[in-house]
Amino acid sequence: MHIPENYLSPVSCAVMGAAMIPVWVHAVKKTNRELPKEKLPLLGAGAAFSFLAMMFNVPLVGGTTGHAVGGTLIALLFGPNAACIAVSVALLLQALIFGDGGVLAFGANCFNMAFVLPFVGYGVYKLILGKQDTISPQKSGARPYVAAFIGSYIGLNVAALCCAVEFGIQPMLFRDAAGNALYCPYDLSVSIPAMMIPHLAVAGFVEAVFTVAVFALVRKTAPDLSYERMRTDAPETGKKKRYIPVFALIAVLIAVCPLGLLATGTAWGEWGADEIAEIVTDGKALGYTPSGLESGWSMDVPMPDYAMEGMNETLAYILSAVIGVALLIIIFKLISIPMKGRRNPS
Amino acid sequence: MIPGWMKQTEQYAPPKDGGAFALRTLRSLGGVLARLRVQRGRDGLNIPPVLKLLLLLAGIVTLSLARNRLLLLGIAALVLGWVCMLPPRTVLNVLRPALGAAILALALFLPAMLLRPAGAGNNLILVGKVFLSVAMVSLFHQRTQWNRITGALRTLHIPGVFVFLLDLTLKYIVLLGGLIVDLLTARSLRAVGRDRHKYRSVGGVMGLTFLRASELSRETWEAMSCRGFTDDYKGL
Repeated sequence: MHIPENYLSPVSCAVMGAAMIPVWVHAVKKTNRELPKEKLPLLGAGAAFSFLAMMFNVPLVGGTTGHAVGGTLIALLFGPNAACIAVSVALLLQALIFGDGGVLAFGANCFNMAFVLPFVGYGVYKLILGKQDTISPQKSGARPYVAAFIGSYIGLNVAALCCAVEFGIQPMLFRDAAGNALYCPYDLSVSIPAMMIPHLAVAGFVEAVFTVAVFALVRKTAPDLSYERMRTDAPETGKKKRYIPVFALIAVLIAVCPLGLLATGTAWGEWGADEIAEIVTDGKALGYTPSGLESGWSMDVPMPDYAMEGMNETLAYILSAVIGVALLIIIFKLISIPMKGRRNPS
Repeated sequence: MIPGWMKQTEQYAPPKDGGAFALRTLRSLGGVLARLRVQRGRDGLNIPPVLKLLLLLAGIVTLSLARNRLLLLGIAALVLGWVCMLPPRTVLNVLRPALGAAILALALFLPAMLLRPAGAGNNLILVGKVFLSVAMVSLFHQRTQWNRITGALRTLHIPGVFVFLLDLTLKYIVLLGGLIVDLLTARSLRAVGRDRHKYRSVGGVMGLTFLRASELSRETWEAMSCRGFTDDYKGL
């Protein structure tokens, strides 16, 4: 779902970036008020989950690949505003270091995955739960998990839909004299089915299973880590805080992340400028490379596609995961130093 | 009976005093030296300091010799993974010097990279190496107490006299740094208003520091003789 460089026109990128600014400002303000200072390094762990989830590419129907995002999961644990920040930082890291998603398209990617996804996912979750008390796991039973499953499934698919629409309006708006599209060449009638069918059929379920699995683990092992508890000022559980399982899970995910390499296809809408001309849609290849893609601006990132030339792919993938996760945790630890700590309830 | 001059309200505001450059420099230098006293470094993982020291040396040598990018990536993953487990303050203390060094290296390489863009990749790798080396040293420094470091040097069979000198020098640096700060504070408290003879104090401060140093060394010598020092030094 990462929109690469030059698939969106610079104008669209500017619009999406401008749309994200008030969202970020609001999210930062809200998080500063809601999140206790000592939880911020854990938000880094949440961002790390998201980063890792995006490294697990799953093969989807039609030869493309997709991945989970984990935005709803972070929203359940830290609130949608904190999730917005966490996923944004993870996306920034991917864009700047690993070349996953364009630097210019950063605003659009954030809009889809850091804004739409966690807010929709969390909204659906709240809608299903209603006013039910979800704080004590004994009382609430399986219902929060069902809500989390549906919420994350819908959240991911709405985000995919936004992404498809952003792709799809490009050929309607930007064409050269010969009628060839300048940027993304597929209009809505192609992009929506191409994005939505795989995401509805597979990727949504991957996201939902990932969300529920991690959510269940966190609720069992570190019940303090929940947005509801944070917001309602529920007393601490008194149990000794044990975040070790959370970090152990991150370590396990890092170790198995080369599984994401098994999916060999390129995700829909993430082809390089060299492959797009041969992409076959409805039985005919595109036949040309959109000029904006060919001559557009691009940045040389240190590790494109989580590897460097002449490297063992698997090893490089694992090392990329370690570096990404470490950087995310470091970033959020550094942010937590000047933070004021939470408001006083009184 | 209150004399008349005591009843008057005084309007004296001391004129702005620029402060001599040499004095200010001395003072900040002394401050830095005295701060060494703060025993930083809590051993988190309880790795023996010798092992840490060897690991650090091996890491730096490997890093400088490495031409394989995968190896560099591995070292980066190791260092960053280690750093991310530290408490936030320590993370900042570890990364600040490393980032400073990397930015300096980048500034030095910038002309070369602009003139020959083809070699920019290699130059950036060097910048990365600088960052990682400094980060490793600063990580070691932050997480190991100083006396443990000299102890580790002794375990590595570095001649005792070197370790002894190192320990003694560090102690003196801290003591004399504190002395400089005290002297300058006393001077600035007594010199209200504009002081036209600031540079006379510089010589005074340095002279006093020297006298105190020789006095300290004499006392140390006497203390060592009294305790029967036999040239066998095992570290603090």
